[in-house]
Amino acid sequence: MTDFAIRTGNLWKNFGSTQVLRGITLDIPAGTVVGLLGANGAGKSTLIKCLVGLLRPTMGKSELLGDDSLHLSAEVKERLGYVPQDIRLYSWMTVEQIIQYTSAYYPKWDQKLVEKLITNWDIPRTHRIGPLSPGQLQKLGLLLAMGPRPDLLILDEPVAALDPLARREFLRSLLEFAQEESKTILFSTHITSDLERVASHVVMLKSGEVNLYEELDALKDRVKRVRIVAEGDFPPSFEIPNAVQIEVTGKLAIATVVGADDALVSLLKQKWTATVSVEDLNLEEIFVELNSQITPRA
Amino acid sequence: MHYCCNTHLQHEPFEFSIHPSSGVPIYRQLMDQVRAFVAGGRLKPGDMLPSVRQMAAELEINMMTVSKAYARLQTEGLIEHERGQGMRISEQRETGTLAARREQLKPFIDQLVARALQLGLTDEQILDQVKKHLREQRP
Repeated sequence: MTDFAIRTGNLWKNFGSTQVLRGITLDIPAGTVVGLLGANGAGKSTLIKCLVGLLRPTMGKSELLGDDSLHLSAEVKERLGYVPQDIRLYSWMTVEQIIQYTSAYYPKWDQKLVEKLITNWDIPRTHRIGPLSPGQLQKLGLLLAMGPRPDLLILDEPVAALDPLARREFLRSLLEFAQEESKTILFSTHITSDLERVASHVVMLKSGEVNLYEELDALKDRVKRVRIVAEGDFPPSFEIPNAVQIEVTGKLAIATVVGADDALVSLLKQKWTATVSVEDLNLEEIFVELNSQITPRA
Repeated sequence: MHYCCNTHLQHEPFEFSIHPSSGVPIYRQLMDQVRAFVAGGRLKPGDMLPSVRQMAAELEINMMTVSKAYARLQTEGLIEHERGQGMRISEQRETGTLAARREQLKPFIDQLVARALQLGLTDEQILDQVKKHLREQRP
């Protein structure tokens, strides 16, 4: 039996009359590193808050490490690390004090790891939390979440406030952390290039629904840009099977196709006596193609 | 970006590099590089590849990605698992023929040409730029 770190079944969340999550069903196996993508307002933070039990779903259910999200046991809480987008810590404590205070709650606290992160991430240990910059606060939040070496780490926009150097350091630490095979990480981000290094899977939310959930490599292997130059102009009826986008200008057609393979290429070549080239797309391009509002030409 | 991986054996250091934001999945970039190194003779039968952990750490990528690349290369027979030591380049493989090596380059040329034409560059401008890069890269 596969061990799932995160499971949701037909999860809905309304705020008043606004449906923010609309039937999210996800099974995320333990040991995966999942990047959560979505345009602003797609429901990423709401989903994360439902997962960790900070929001009560309107309908449906959600489980973390086998426990209902709304009734997490102490054992599961010990194995869970969560960093919200908006980090709030006791502003009167110093960095060292908050670390000591937090560590008291976790029997498996890894002080060695924490010391290493303080050095690598350049966190001022004697400073008070109040005057910390947003970036330093974010680093501290991440450190406190990683300290207990949780089996499941859920991070809402973990790199948003970090400068490029700090982001790099953070990603390196995250990779090291993920090297232990049973560790599961879910993080939302807008920076697709970070995700491309670290993530094994991608979840894309669009208007509160799961638009896509699959292995990152498989996604890149599957979604391609196809460029077709025919001998004459394309007719208005021109279409390509499984195209998410088609742009036609005279005898040039550019399409984003899910599952562009050799068979499709030779089909297009024959049918339109055309030259066909297939280009790879990176995650950002795929994201834009799959999320843009332009409806495919019929 | 270039990272230098010292193989843990006697072999000369060589470079693996990846471009996370290229459209090519990272595991395929790695596979292509191992194949290219073997075809070009920079990696010889019996040479060891860096361990999964080492490669992942050097390139700052997920270990699963490296495992996947190695597993596929193993299936292809290009590399084999040496107990307790890691992955080594298989014996039976020989340096690819010129035709085989050209075939390997083809997909990259397709992409390069497509992009260059899209940018409206002339044949001469494209060739010039390629030559310039060759001059810079060749030792």
